[in-house]
Order: sequence, then C-alpha cells, then structure tokens
Amino acid sequence: MNAALPSREARRAEALESFRVRGMPHRRFEHWKYSDLRAVLDAGQVAQSGTAAWQVEKLPEGVELFDLGKLDAPELVMRNLGAIGAKPTMKEASLAFADGGVALRVPRGRKIAEPVTLHISSTGNVRLLAVLEEESSLTLMESHTGDAGLLRNVGVEIALGTQARLSHVRFAASAPKSITIEHIGVAEARGAQYRAHFANFGSRLSRTELHILLQEEDAEAHLSGVNVLGDEGHADLTSHIEHVAGNTRSTQLFKKVAGGHSRAVYQGKITVREGANGSDSRQTAKALLLGGRAEADLKPELVIFADDVKCAHGAAVGDLDPESLFYLRSRGVPEAEARHMLIRAFLEDAVAEIENEELRASVWHAVEHALPHAVRVSP
Amino acid sequence: MLEIKNLHVAVGGKEILKGLTLSVAEGEVHAIMGPNGSGKSTLSYVLAGREGYEITQGSISYRGEDLATMKTEDRAARGVFLAMQYPVEIPGVTTLTFLKTALNAQRRARGDSELDAMSVLKLVRQKATALQVSEEMLKRALNVGFYGGEKKRLEILQMAIFEPALAILDETYSGLDIDALKLVAEGVNALRAPERAMLVITHYQRLLNYIVPDRVHVLAGGRIVAEGGKELAHELEAKGYAHVVKEPA
Repeated sequence: MNAALPSREARRAEALESFRVRGMPHRRFEHWKYSDLRAVLDAGQVAQSGTAAWQVEKLPEGVELFDLGKLDAPELVMRNLGAIGAKPTMKEASLAFADGGVALRVPRGRKIAEPVTLHISSTGNVRLLAVLEEESSLTLMESHTGDAGLLRNVGVEIALGTQARLSHVRFAASAPKSITIEHIGVAEARGAQYRAHFANFGSRLSRTELHILLQEEDAEAHLSGVNVLGDEGHADLTSHIEHVAGNTRSTQLFKKVAGGHSRAVYQGKITVREGANGSDSRQTAKALLLGGRAEADLKPELVIFADDVKCAHGAAVGDLDPESLFYLRSRGVPEAEARHMLIRAFLEDAVAEIENEELRASVWHAVEHALPHAVRVSP
Repeated sequence: MLEIKNLHVAVGGKEILKGLTLSVAEGEVHAIMGPNGSGKSTLSYVLAGREGYEITQGSISYRGEDLATMKTEDRAARGVFLAMQYPVEIPGVTTLTFLKTALNAQRRARGDSELDAMSVLKLVRQKATALQVSEEMLKRALNVGFYGGEKKRLEILQMAIFEPALAILDETYSGLDIDALKLVAEGVNALRAPERAMLVITHYQRLLNYIVPDRVHVLAGGRIVAEGGKELAHELEAKGYAHVVKEPA
C-alpha cells in the first residue's frame, strides 16, 4: 500500500544525497576508464541541466501512461521508481534532478502489437519506467535525437512480470556536441524475455549502462547493438547481466564500426550467482577499425559462482578483410562501394536481431547516413 | 587481345615472375601449366589487379590498353574476369545481392543502364540452371558454407553472367570430383566464343581433357619454358614436368 512506501520526494532526496556523496564518475571509477565523465562535466552542471522533455507519439490502446512530473503517481510507480537494478551515481542524479518523466504500464495478458515510440530530444535529466505485467508484451522504441548541448541523462527502469516480453530498441542519433548518459535497470520474473537493441551513432561522450537481473527461472535477456562512429564520436556500452536464478539465458551481440578519431567501448560483465545452475550466457563483441586513429576497447568479463553453467564469450578487433575487398573489386564493384558492402555485411547479424521490420529498416537507414562519416579519411 | 611482354613481378620484395612473355588472341583458349610455386597464381592475380603484386619490368597490354595502370574494378568492367582458386566467403551479403551489385557496377562503368531486381533475377535463374546452382544457394550468404564444387560452380556462373572478354580460370579443377569437374568444364565450354579468350591455369593435365586448349604454355621459375599445342599437355602427363622443364642453372 502507498502508505508503507516512502514518498517520491523522499526517494529523490535520498538519490540526491547518494549523488552528492559519490560525485561524478571518472576514469578511476570501476568501468568508467574509457569514458571519463568528470573530465567533461561537473556535478553542478548535472544539477543545472534540469529536466528533459519527452514525447510519446500515438499511444496504442491497452498501454497506460503516467506523467512522472505529476505528484499523484499510482502505486506501480511508487513500488518500482528507483528500485530496479543497481544505483550508480548518474542514475541517482537522473532521479534527483528530473522533475518528470514517463511511466508505462501494460496490464496483465495484453499483447500490444503496435510499437510505442518515445522521443527525447532536449537536454536534461529524465526518468522512464516501464512495467509489463504477467504475460503481456510490448515493443518500445526510444528515439534520442537533437544535439542541443551539454547533458542528457536518462534513468530507465523496466519490470517484467512472469512471461512478459519487451522488445526494446534504443536509437541514438549522432550528437557530437552532447554528453548522453543512460542507465537501464531491468528486473525479470519467471520466463520473462527482454530483447534490446542499441543503435548508437556517437556523442561527445555517450554511455549506455545496463543492469539486468534474471531473477527467476527461464528468464531471458538478448542484447544486440551497432555503432557507426566517425570524427570524434564516442559510444560506450557497459552491461551487467546477473543470472540470479537457474536455467536463465542471455545472449549479447555487439558490432562496432569506428573511423576518424572515434572510440567504441564495450564492457560486458556476466555474473552467474551461486545456485543459478543451468544458466547459459553468450557474448560477442566485434569492432571494425577504419583507419589508424580510431580506437575500440572491448572487455568481456565473467564471474561465475555456480557449477553447471554454459558461458561463452569472444571479442575481436580488426580491419576490413583485404581478400574480400579484392574479390568484390575483381567483380567490378568500385572500392568505396565494396567497403560499404563489407561494413554493412559486418553489421548485418547484429541489426537482424531487431524483430520489428520497420525499426530494422530505420536502423539501416541511419547506418547508411553515418557510414560516410566513419569511412572518411581524417588527417 | 592480351600481350604480355617480359613481365617481372615481385611480391613482398621477392621476384616471382621473371620475364614472362605471352600472347593470347580472341577466341583462343590457352592453358598455363606448371609445377607448384612456378608463378601461376601470381600471373592470375597480377592480371586481375590484386594489391601487393608489383610489376617491376615489362608490360601487359589488353585490347591495346595498358592493363597495369587500370584499377581492379575497371579491369572487370572492361571484361577481365578471374575465376579464383579460393573464392572468399562473405557472411552478411547474399549471393543474389552480390551478383546484382557486381553486374550493375560493371554496366554503370560501361555506360549501360542498370538492371532492376526482377531482370537480374531472371538472368541469373536462366544461367544458374545449367550449372545446377539452386535458388537456395542464391539466397545464402556468398560462398558461406558452400562445398568446394558449389563455390567453383558459382565462379563459372559469374562468368556466364558477366560475359567477360578475357576469362582467367585459376585451378578451377582443384577440389572437384569427376562429376563436378565435368559440370564445370561443360559450363566453361559453353562460354567459348569467337570474341572471348580464356586462360586456363592448372598444374593438373586432367582438366585439359575436358577443356581442350588451343595452346599450352609451361611456366617454371617465373617464365615460359615450353610451348606447344594440346599434345604438349599429354606429353607432360606421360613424362612429368622434369622432362620438359630445363631450369637454367
């Protein structure tokens, strides 16, 4: 009951205190080595950046929406707000400083075919909460656009009930002037499925951090993503998947194309907790470096406390295969076109993870748009 | 059509071809034979324009133009085709998409209009049947998971679709059983034409029972050491390379 829960304001005060005590993440923070936030932003600027505006276009029937800016939030909000996943400092900041945000609820058994699109294009802090009740399903497209300047800091919480299924596609357009941070916490009940794709075309500093808890048997998480970066672009995806219960499954497939002076980061930690037997986790991260000045840092990490588990991970950084390039050119495909073909081919399996055809097409469209920047030879 | 004069080619600073001279006219099929390491593949790569093959001396003239200064893709558009010994696998690109992209790139370079997807499909299907290249193969990623024979058939299918003026077949025979070999040879023979020249590169004589050459050249130590008609291939089969190849001391 509401009476037993701390008020929203009390939670925000707690988050503010937590942020004040720990401060800005910097390169000596664990897992912030490749994204030194403190070097480009101070705590005062985070507080001053205010609240980011959001917009949901065409809410499908059956999905309930609540404005977190209003004080009379329903119990589902109060039960989950600030409660899912770890509480890293920037996520606390988004709770402390955002005077708004959006909560979505899909009631039990409702399967929503039409995707919900959430647009965030302004600067500031904002919160998103999605609660999918038992046996419900939803496709959520998060579209991050605009390059208005300093900071966009998004805190996301997702609660998936028994057998609930969320397809989440996060699209972040190139924003070379902006710092874009997002923390996503996901808690999954028995048999729930979280499928997420992260298409990110780079910011001045971009960090997407995930903490996924497979709390009950047969819960699954399938993550994929692509980066196409050029110039000074930066994109860091840091994930932590915890197999809390047995017979849980997770897969990750990330493909990164980095040209110019850009930097692509993947840090994927998997924890299989004691007793989570029969868990199966796979992670693959590959980067294609175009030219000698781009950088990729790929770091898979496994922490296993259970006995009977299957875990596989792989990471590789490389260049375009000269044999393939020669083959295509010897068939008459001009060099630039052959390079594009091979880059698209490299990204193909990761983009194919997006189930919704329209969203897949829009990611390919963005890839086409970003490729000329990535392949451009920089001085 | 093809005039190679005193060609010297170095790979990684090491000279592989050491003064090769060869002349191929339109409508002719020439076989280049020779033991392993004699420079056969180097010749095929240098004709196709692979990077890292440096011409240090001599010339290659193709239809009166200097081939050596042409970009790889321009050579293809002007009718040079190399059927490779080891066709590469390209995951993420379907065979049909590849064929369409390549065909239209060549047409564009020649100033012809591009073909739409339906026209390409029709053309490919028409040529694919004879080579037993299935619809399923065309939908798969290029060469990925193809058997050796399937890869070679796909190379010949490309030759049938692109209709090159000069086709170079590099060890097309290798890795094929006798039925696959006959099928590939039939495909090649069907493409023999008065306006087309072929260079068949092989170290086995057996292929030449099926693709009968007009001329046979023996390559050893980076240059042509013997030449003759198709009977030379039989002589090599009977007596071995050592008999024909008299290495200069």
